[in-house]
Amino acid sequence: MQRFLILPLAVAFAICALGQGKYQPPTGPAPRMADGKPDLSGVWQRPYVPDMTKTGPNQQGMAELPFTEWGAQQWKNYHAEEGDYAGACLPFGLPRSMNSPEPLQLMQNSKYVTLMFEQNTWYHVFPIDGRPHRDQTTWFGDSVGHWDGDTLVVETVNFNGKTRLDTIGHPHSDQLHMTQRFTRTDLGHMAYEVTIDDPKTFTKPWKNTRTFTLRTDWELMEYSCEENNKSLWEGRIKVPKY
Amino acid sequence: MKKRLFAVLMGLCAASGAVWAHHSFAAEFDGNKAIKLEGTLTKLEWANPHIWLYLDVKDASGAVAKWQCEGGAPNGLTRNGWSKDSIKSGDQVMVEGWLAKDGSRTCSARSVKMPDGHRIFAGSSNPDAKE
Repeated sequence: MQRFLILPLAVAFAICALGQGKYQPPTGPAPRMADGKPDLSGVWQRPYVPDMTKTGPNQQGMAELPFTEWGAQQWKNYHAEEGDYAGACLPFGLPRSMNSPEPLQLMQNSKYVTLMFEQNTWYHVFPIDGRPHRDQTTWFGDSVGHWDGDTLVVETVNFNGKTRLDTIGHPHSDQLHMTQRFTRTDLGHMAYEVTIDDPKTFTKPWKNTRTFTLRTDWELMEYSCEENNKSLWEGRIKVPKY
Repeated sequence: MKKRLFAVLMGLCAASGAVWAHHSFAAEFDGNKAIKLEGTLTKLEWANPHIWLYLDVKDASGAVAKWQCEGGAPNGLTRNGWSKDSIKSGDQVMVEGWLAKDGSRTCSARSVKMPDGHRIFAGSSNPDAKE
């Protein structure tokens, strides 16, 4: 009898382990680039954060958001069924892309860092060589990075204000100043902190902290948001009016 | 016995699955209107941003109604061990999920169960989904 159990058990656990939970990231010290800076590159598994007020595995949220009067009105009056820009496959923007469920691949050299989001096959590239922000308003905002010791600090401004912070739809304005801190604590992990500073929407800056896990067993896959977005074509999701 | 044990294990495996969403659940679906559908799969669309399952569901009188249900993104489902070949037209399935707000025969699938209890394709966009 035992013989008959071994195979299905092994197959089931192998498939289960392949998909979830059993993966163990590599161990060892954080690697470095030839110039001595930490090497942050890799395919990273991040906690999906549909709601930045919530705390969960590898995610510390901000339970009570410090809304200004304007911000509270934006939140109160948001109804996704009246217009859902992400559902319409418009660009998520940097905050919501960082909160997205699919993996992130990070690549860098001494001048640039690129965040490659599997979500909708978007990328965000920015300089880390001391250049100032460009005077250009965009969906993802304009980023510049610098090293603070072994932490990469990414400052992003010039958002167009048409995006939301997270899937549930917390608001921000075009005055958003987003600060991200990436620290590779060891070979298999990245400490991540994001600070939302938007004086039009919030009375004070607030943050989330997370841990990312290196996935040596994953590669980015193509993700075409437009390919089969039948909810939009059939009218159940509406394009917002800006 | 083997088949049943395998199904139970895969069910447990799926039970810890994640939710993958590209859009707001509330834009399209009503989390207060849960639904359970039992029927025959007529088509599976395995494409981003969501897979779609098409079902023929018979009522008590034998009349067939055509339903469509949205699942997770193929990318996340693939990483959880599923593929477009995990289910095929003609399979009898039970879908549990939530109705669309527009009143059409459309749902967001929380889970899809095969007749042996083997659960596949979890991945509703509902953030409250208990996977």
